Amino acid sequence: MSALTVLADDQFKAPSPDELFTFTPIIPGVDWFTKPVLLALLSSVVVIGFCWAAFANPKVVPRGVQNVAEYGYMFVRDQVARPFLGKDADRWMGLLLTLFFLVFLWNIMGVIPILQFPVASHIAFPAVLAISIYVLKVYLGVKHQGAVGYFKNMMFPPGLPKPIYILLSPIEFLSNMIIAPFTHAVRLFANMFAGHMLLAFFSMVGFWFLFEKLTPLGATVGVIGVVMTIIFTAFEIFIQFLQAFLFAMLASMYIGGALHAEH
Amino acid sequence: MSEQERRPEDDGQDFANAAWSIPSYLLAGMAIYGGGGWLLDRWLDTSAFFPIGVVLGIVLSVYLVYRKYGR
Amino acid sequence: MSVLAEVSGNVTAIGYGLAAIGPGIGVGIIFGQGVQAIARQPEAYGLIRQNMLLGFVLTEALALLGLVAPFIFQAL
Repeated sequence: MSALTVLADDQFKAPSPDELFTFTPIIPGVDWFTKPVLLALLSSVVVIGFCWAAFANPKVVPRGVQNVAEYGYMFVRDQVARPFLGKDADRWMGLLLTLFFLVFLWNIMGVIPILQFPVASHIAFPAVLAISIYVLKVYLGVKHQGAVGYFKNMMFPPGLPKPIYILLSPIEFLSNMIIAPFTHAVRLFANMFAGHMLLAFFSMVGFWFLFEKLTPLGATVGVIGVVMTIIFTAFEIFIQFLQAFLFAMLASMYIGGALHAEH
Repeated sequence: MSEQERRPEDDGQDFANAAWSIPSYLLAGMAIYGGGGWLLDRWLDTSAFFPIGVVLGIVLSVYLVYRKYGR
Repeated sequence: MSVLAEVSGNVTAIGYGLAAIGPGIGVGIIFGQGVQAIARQPEAYGLIRQNMLLGFVLTEALALLGLVAPFIFQAL
């Protein structure tokens, strides 16, 4: 992975995942307190503060922060919650709105100057959210369909010939209980990881060929690098929004699937 | 639920459900039968069962998705 | 002849990258044309959806085969 070497006069080294994603502790001696943890804490505080400012004293005619927050609320309710939860949508809005805002903020940290690190590109952060949703899904499924009924609905879809169940039930079980939460977390993680690598690579190209080793031939490559950085930053903002939306949407899909049996 | 009393939202929801769970079904099928084949290979000291298992897993997952969502 | 450029690392990653091109284009075509078909003829939604899903499964299977192909050829 690490050694893409372009042998110009001096060697250009592409940034490796190791140097991009490992951080030294901010306070020496406290090993767990690194930049991603700080950013995650910061985003939690920002989300709490934002919702507090918007919804603590709601006005009938929304102004300022409340206007922005209500726009986000409407988006989450109409695009994420209602299609999958139907009439239960309003009960789950608290969870889904928090999830959407938090993941979106985690992701958008990747393009905010100075911060510039998408928190979700460390697998631990999306994994915790995905595992919580998974536990909630299994709990709700057992509560609403009964322990036997939940697993029966999941592993034995009606309308198949009997002997086929022996072959297909393991697939259903593995897909629902292990692969689904795994892909839920990995989809967010992989997108943020790859996006951060791309941005780092192109800005490194621009910096190296325009500032470190400026040659007439290398300058064109550097300009291409800068232009690509700008294009990919815009693209990344779109991807970051889309992944936050998808994460909340899949969570609402899993909750909806646990509340009502598939037919 | 019969075709008449379905609301349009139900269809969209089913479609999203299907489209998002298809990759997990395929992965699960490959993992189960490919993994079984791999274990058989290790046990019997052969090298044929792993590819067979992977292909069998894909075929079974496609069949499962076909029976579940394809009609 | 001097070395101009060199790539080191795991070649199977390149293999998977190449294997993902075809299914990527395929999935794009399937959903693109499917959405267009639904827009043109909303009353045929059920039929179009069915065939969209079937095509998607078969295409996605190829992409995932590409994912395990390196392991298969390692084992052989």
